[in-house]
Amino acid sequence: MSWLAIGEQAINGLVVSVFYALAALGLSLIFGVLRIVNFAHGELYMMGGFAYWLAVSTLGVPPVLGVVGAAVVLFAVGAVIEILLVRPVYTGKVDRPDEYAIMITFALAVLLQNLMLAVFGPWPQRPTPLFRGRVEIGELIISGDRLAAAAVGALLILLLLLALRYSWAGKAVRAVSQDREAAQYLGLRVRNVSLLAFGLGSALAGTAGALMGPVFNVTPVMGVIPVIKAYVVVVLGGLGSIPGAILGALILGQVETFATVLIPDTTRALAYKDAYGLLVLILVLLVRPQGLFGTRERRA
Amino acid sequence: MKAAALGRPGATALGPWALGALLLLLLLALPLAGLDAYWVYTATIGFYYALLAASWSLLVGYVGRISFAQAAMAGLGAYASTLSILHLGLPIPLGIAIAVLVTAALGLFIGWLSLRLHGAYLGLTTIGVAEILRITVTAEHEVTRGSLGLQAPALIEGGSRTAYYYALLAALLVSLALMGLALRSRVGLFFQAIREDEDGAASLGVRVTLWKVLAFAASSAFAGFAGALYAHTVQLISPAMMSLQEMGFVLAMAVIGGFHNIVYAAIGGLALQFALEWLRAIGEWRLAIFGLLAILMLRLVPNGVCGTIVEPLSKGRPR
Repeated sequence: MSWLAIGEQAINGLVVSVFYALAALGLSLIFGVLRIVNFAHGELYMMGGFAYWLAVSTLGVPPVLGVVGAAVVLFAVGAVIEILLVRPVYTGKVDRPDEYAIMITFALAVLLQNLMLAVFGPWPQRPTPLFRGRVEIGELIISGDRLAAAAVGALLILLLLLALRYSWAGKAVRAVSQDREAAQYLGLRVRNVSLLAFGLGSALAGTAGALMGPVFNVTPVMGVIPVIKAYVVVVLGGLGSIPGAILGALILGQVETFATVLIPDTTRALAYKDAYGLLVLILVLLVRPQGLFGTRERRA
Repeated sequence: MKAAALGRPGATALGPWALGALLLLLLLALPLAGLDAYWVYTATIGFYYALLAASWSLLVGYVGRISFAQAAMAGLGAYASTLSILHLGLPIPLGIAIAVLVTAALGLFIGWLSLRLHGAYLGLTTIGVAEILRITVTAEHEVTRGSLGLQAPALIEGGSRTAYYYALLAALLVSLALMGLALRSRVGLFFQAIREDEDGAASLGVRVTLWKVLAFAASSAFAGFAGALYAHTVQLISPAMMSLQEMGFVLAMAVIGGFHNIVYAAIGGLALQFALEWLRAIGEWRLAIFGLLAILMLRLVPNGVCGTIVEPLSKGRPR
């Protein structure tokens, strides 16, 4: 491979990494605060894509506002889900809360995916992207819609990190992630922080869907593959760890891009592309369940 | 009902058994009573889902370990049986036996690998396994014909729909009986002890590791058995049967029927397959409704429909 091709692949991997990170951060945020894996995260991502499509293609809203709109709508959706379905997990209203949380979010995924399929049909929609055209860096050519989505995504990730670090709400989220009981004793309203975390996590998923929708099409099943990548990313980085999720996304983006190029049989290489990450996921869970940065639990 | 109302201690509750016998008689008589061939076929597929949902409930409902690889295991069973028959020229029962062995072995392996993992971590691991299986079957299209689908030999050469109906019903009943026998013995108590308190069970001498691994293997083997039967009944299999969407359907079946009991889960599977065909007119709304029902059940009626109907009839008896 020439240096140019390697650079091109590396940049492609980087762009993909931003997408993965955006989808994974919400998952990690939710796990950090609530200690549950949201198995409906891919469907929230998909709903973000549909919200963007409805706003931009049907209502004629400018794309940037479409992304904001998707984030707001998905925050509300996430808040409703938290209140109706997730809250019983930590208020002791259900037997075996772990089991309940896994099954209820998986069932929610079934509901949301088929609901959107029933309402909008299986046809792929292609809303207007943030930016059209191509960007040339020297001899490297990258399609503009991807780059714009990645740039906005990277900006959002930066904003999220700053908010978590410096804002009061961000500190509250981190406090509850570190020790739920201690945070409660110190007077934090853990219930509100949980609501915020689930809403924010859903909004992040929705934003990711809104940014990726125009690049990869908006369909009811668009969340199935990205959410699996998000699982890989959060497990690799350590469930509940925000820096871990970002590092995990960077690693997965490069691994997938180069693993695909390195296998000579192209059709098979592409077919197996989604499997590498899954192998990483299983290996990490078996060898080091807390991932790169996660906190060790007595029982994974 | 009366025994329950009187609250006689230790009364043998006839209610659930009577209901079960009635349902069994109904299932045995339906094709003879002139049920439409289309519905006979629907029920036959329903028996596949019933077995799959029951095998899932064996693991989730009794041992408390969640797997999202159940549909993928059924697919693996279907491909293992079909490919071994096509390439090795085996008779069909031997192909099905190979399917059971392959899925049991993989279940044993996954169960052993993931011994330390619980809850969401185990869920994620099994999603990984399921997707790797599905991707492999799709990618190795020279062997499996990928998404085009693979033609599988018929279970009963030239068999009528009624013949298939009784064959799958028999397979379902035998499997449920085997699971039921195991669960009624000490093994069932070991399983439930592990579900309720693993450390406590271990401290009382339950061989937690052994039973956890065996539960995974048994659950996978029944799924593989179901998948192989399905392959030779429908005679066309594709990787779609291994998807997570299909897994969601199986989860909804078990949850709506009642996932704490293999028979309830099986009834859920049969009922949902019927509902799926009966409500064909409303298209995708069906699965959305099933998803909604599953959520409502988990949130409000964790015993499922069957559990809620049957449990009051058998009050005073430990499940």
